Amino acid sequence: MTTSRNPADIDLAALPGRELDRDELVELVRAVAARPELWDKHVRYDDEHRHYVRLHRDAHAEVWLLCWTPSNDTGWHDHDVSAGAVVVVRGAVVEHNLAIGSDCLRTVVPAGHSYSFGPDHIHRMTGEAAGSVTIHAYSPPLWRMGQYAISSTSVLRRTSVSYADELRPTEEPFPDDQARLRDALI
Amino acid sequence: MPKIAGGLDSGPELVDVHQHLWPRALIDALLARTAAPRLTVGDGDGTDGWTLHLPGEPPYAVRAADHDVTARQALEAGTSLALVSLSSPLGIEDLAPDAAAPLLAAWHEGAARLPAPFGAWAAVTRLEPDLAELKDLLAAGFAGLQVPATWLATPAALERLAPVLEVCERAERPVLVHPGPVPARDATDRRNPADLPGWWAAVVDYPAQLQAAWWAWHAAGRTLLPGLRMGFVAGAGLAPAQHERLQARGGSLGPVDAGVFVETSSYGPQAVDALVRALGIDGVVLGSDRPYGLPGDVRPTMGTAAALAIETTNPRRFLQGGTP
Repeated sequence: MTTSRNPADIDLAALPGRELDRDELVELVRAVAARPELWDKHVRYDDEHRHYVRLHRDAHAEVWLLCWTPSNDTGWHDHDVSAGAVVVVRGAVVEHNLAIGSDCLRTVVPAGHSYSFGPDHIHRMTGEAAGSVTIHAYSPPLWRMGQYAISSTSVLRRTSVSYADELRPTEEPFPDDQARLRDALI
Repeated sequence: MPKIAGGLDSGPELVDVHQHLWPRALIDALLARTAAPRLTVGDGDGTDGWTLHLPGEPPYAVRAADHDVTARQALEAGTSLALVSLSSPLGIEDLAPDAAAPLLAAWHEGAARLPAPFGAWAAVTRLEPDLAELKDLLAAGFAGLQVPATWLATPAALERLAPVLEVCERAERPVLVHPGPVPARDATDRRNPADLPGWWAAVVDYPAQLQAAWWAWHAAGRTLLPGLRMGFVAGAGLAPAQHERLQARGGSLGPVDAGVFVETSSYGPQAVDALVRALGIDGVVLGSDRPYGLPGDVRPTMGTAAALAIETTNPRRFLQGGTP
């Protein structure tokens, strides 16, 4: 894509006052990752409840720190109207994607790598290495999300909930319906 | 009364930051008055109760059961903490200090004796706020200070109130902004008629007051009081959803302020969703405004994690501090 912006401008200290596109979100998470003084003090781990800290939210974008153990699992979800980007700062995480007619895709993302997604993206993230750290950015800021599950009759279902359910799930391990989806063939 | 300073339990709990419960001594003090705000015996329905008389609102029937401590306790079976406040629309805080004094004394003495799960917000007069007494009340276990939104109608008004708010900032206690009294209406004044629907003040005047207070805080508050935690009842009149208008007209929102909260009373899933979209989930706290409203439940439309945030973790942060 072509753009006239200066990539160095995409930083927490100088956001452009509008929604960010996917490339800009990647620039933002990489800029935040390069400034450990913003997030290093918040890093800690919990096998039962993923540890997270909101680093920034304004009218146009939101940035989170997430800390992962191999037990941490987001479940399948989308971000409703938000695009997002992830950079792995330490360790490694796994990006899972649903696929029709084949096994779910499983992509290990190691430290130093980043990726982005649009609002149409459905995924699940799990911790791969102990002591993993990721920085996430979303634009517009997180609002609602879809949670996915398979019913006992193999029907895929989406439940609309607050984004709080992605970052602060109250039920782990997953309810039976989500457990069915985790390793499902669709 | 629970001591907020001692810390709430860390487990799952439900905290309601906005209720009203008039101690008997306050009711007696309002019955003794001959000018508004005052109560008269009988609620107009032939049952026990009172009628509330205010300059700017129609006579309001007050049910005795709504201010019966035992009856109200029975409604809070699953509540860890329910914070009650003086009803600012009565205008007690705006009375001349000598007229306000017996009413505020009745409020603080009665509120301090309320049993669990009730706690209370302190109050001061506008003209002669007793800052030493406020400091003592906060130390004695009052959750924070409630102020009428009409005291924060402009940035300059907020600056004048800053010495009072600083007492709370220094004590690390929050401030709750609640609608204040509405101006007296005149049946002969077509611009301000007295024959408005009964809900007019709650739907028109109160949100307008709260919106002004929200933007006064945005313009001047955080600069003056960098450490103060602020809460606005009734979603700050949905002022947070006006942020695009702010930006379109030359203002700037900046990062969401983690020390500012809005409470949910008399709003439902659509307004709470709008507040969450504007502020994020971390700034929204449960308030019911009992006995004028009922606590809402966001579970059906927002899920259990949002409910945990709004009912438990966010109110705890509002009352005690901490980061999202």
